[in-house]
Amino acid sequence: MHDEPNQQHMKGEAALAAALRALPDATPPRDGWPAIAARIAHRRRTRNTLRIAVPAALAAGVAIAVALPHLWPARAPSTTPRVVQRTAAPTRVPEIELGALRAQSQRLQTWVTALDRNGAPLGGSALAGAVALQDRIGLVDLQLSAATDPATRASLWKQRNLLLQQLGLLHLQPYAVAEHTRTTPDPTIIL
Amino acid sequence: MEPSTSSQQHSFQRQVEPELVARLQRGDLAAFECIYRQFERAAWTLALRLTGRADVAQEVVQDAMLKAYERARQYRGDAPFPAWLRKLVVNEALMRLRHDRLHVFEAFTDTQPDADAPELWTRADATALDRALNRLPDTARAVLWLYHVEGCTHIEIAEQFGRTVSFSKSQLARGTRRLRELLRTQSETTPCTMNPISNT
Repeated sequence: MHDEPNQQHMKGEAALAAALRALPDATPPRDGWPAIAARIAHRRRTRNTLRIAVPAALAAGVAIAVALPHLWPARAPSTTPRVVQRTAAPTRVPEIELGALRAQSQRLQTWVTALDRNGAPLGGSALAGAVALQDRIGLVDLQLSAATDPATRASLWKQRNLLLQQLGLLHLQPYAVAEHTRTTPDPTIIL
Repeated sequence: MEPSTSSQQHSFQRQVEPELVARLQRGDLAAFECIYRQFERAAWTLALRLTGRADVAQEVVQDAMLKAYERARQYRGDAPFPAWLRKLVVNEALMRLRHDRLHVFEAFTDTQPDADAPELWTRADATALDRALNRLPDTARAVLWLYHVEGCTHIEIAEQFGRTVSFSKSQLARGTRRLRELLRTQSETTPCTMNPISNT
């Protein structure tokens, strides 16, 4: 007795779906390709500019930092006795620590590549997050290529490893969500 | 904005040559143009149905296509390429609806199924249905389209909108009812059927 309205409803749904699917495609008001091509060209130009400008700016910064003490005018000798201040020695980063950071980065990179290749496809917001992280990693790589100071390099390697970890965790998110969905069924679903 | 007379439907079901996708993944702009031209109309129709506004639909298509070009290397071939592209368009359109606040969530509480006879839909005139669809509130229209045409479940729709399953069900029920009312009003004022839909 109760099946009749339900069947009627299903027929109605099917008929509506068919009617909507049968609607003809709309025609775009104009060819959108020139605008897309222009945007791609603009982005390429911006990227190329950054690729050249960032290392150049970093190199210039390093050069100024090195040259500045030599360019500074020498002070006249003072007659008053100088108070000798003991300054802290610059932080030295042993080569072994840099090597460890590099090795960690390689391991993380391999991990992220494997996740990217074999993992579940990322959803909209996760995809945007992944792209942003990849951009930041690219920027750190550029800075690393220009940095010579061991302390700066160590800091950049640490930053790179942190970003890679975040990227890896982002790739693991779909599994965490799927696991959560399996264990906690939606109470609103009527079976 | 005018419905075309072409009988080609659901162009996202078209096949794309794997070689063309591979070239796109290598950043080949000519391959991308080829793909863009194949799917421009389907993407435009989908964006227009979901957002209800030509200016917004144009931006949605542009942004989604640009993402397709820039993220082509992330396409792994798990699903057909057109389905991946369609998902980008849907995501972009819904994101725009949320950001631009084009839609106003109406507090529909009725989820009663629409038990009227299906004849209204089978007899419906394509132009009238298209017009009635455009007059629906943005959310109801988007939910109706996602459910009936894109084949999304209520759970998926709820996730896309960041709302509950009840929200999706009530939007669908109310949207269907309102669409029926709009069609009836139109058929009363214009009784002649000029462009019947073929459901065969």
